[in-house]
Amino acid sequence: MLALSILVSVVCSLTALLGIYYAVRDLSADLVLLGACALVALVWAIFGITLGLRDLGGGHPEDRITLYGYLLTGFAMVLGGGWVSLWERSRWGSLVIAVVSLVAMVLLMRLHQIWPGGFA
Amino acid sequence: MTDRDTRRDTDLGTTVAGSSSQGSRSPRSGSRGFEAVLIILYALFATAATARSVVQMLRDFSFAPVAYLLSLAAALTYIAVSIALVRGGRRSRIALVLCLVELVGVLGVGTLSLLDPALFPDASVWSVFGEGYGYVPLLLPVIALVYLLRGRHRAPQTADDAR
Repeated sequence: MLALSILVSVVCSLTALLGIYYAVRDLSADLVLLGACALVALVWAIFGITLGLRDLGGGHPEDRITLYGYLLTGFAMVLGGGWVSLWERSRWGSLVIAVVSLVAMVLLMRLHQIWPGGFA
Repeated sequence: MTDRDTRRDTDLGTTVAGSSSQGSRSPRSGSRGFEAVLIILYALFATAATARSVVQMLRDFSFAPVAYLLSLAAALTYIAVSIALVRGGRRSRIALVLCLVELVGVLGVGTLSLLDPALFPDASVWSVFGEGYGYVPLLLPVIALVYLLRGRHRAPQTADDAR
């Protein structure tokens, strides 16, 4: 689980940096940045499913509502960010992808606090 | 489909499909600009604050009623600003007023949480000026107000923008 968390962090941080780079260079999101955003959504989904399976396999998260709320919010947010960058054809659409990637990292940190046992 | 939608679709067709390795220069026609970033930030805070306040109130409202109601007020403000920005854009008078209300709310609740901590056995979204959210709740209305005020001064209002 720790390795998966590190993978999510790395993908999120690289996508955030790419989004910032595009915004600074005044570039709108292309297939590379949108692909990176899709990759964030994919690793987040795998991460969420794995955490859910740990819960089903006998884990005891204290606060399931918050746990799954964060997981669903993170996934929906990344999809939403990608969608916004599709209709916002400017540097600001790229910055939106950077913002949602950074927020996904914050959510990941919070998930570690919400269910430390899930990552043991 | 409106002219704006048609322009947007054309932009997507040429940009996403046509340039797989390099993004295109901006801005494009029909672009909302920085407004898009503000909308996503407000939508995120609307989701976070609504979920937080509803869950907390359903669990044990009597534990910290003032804090939970203030969180709900924050959530409603974020929802209202999000809708105002989506519908009216940067020249929306309602968005400007709501951002002012939001700033007053953050400053008021932040000050109250410092002066009377007993009212807040559990934190609200705006406690200690949004400390729990990295003080972004304090920065967000300031950034939004600067952006909205600059938008009002920079471009004259047109019939199309008057929403």
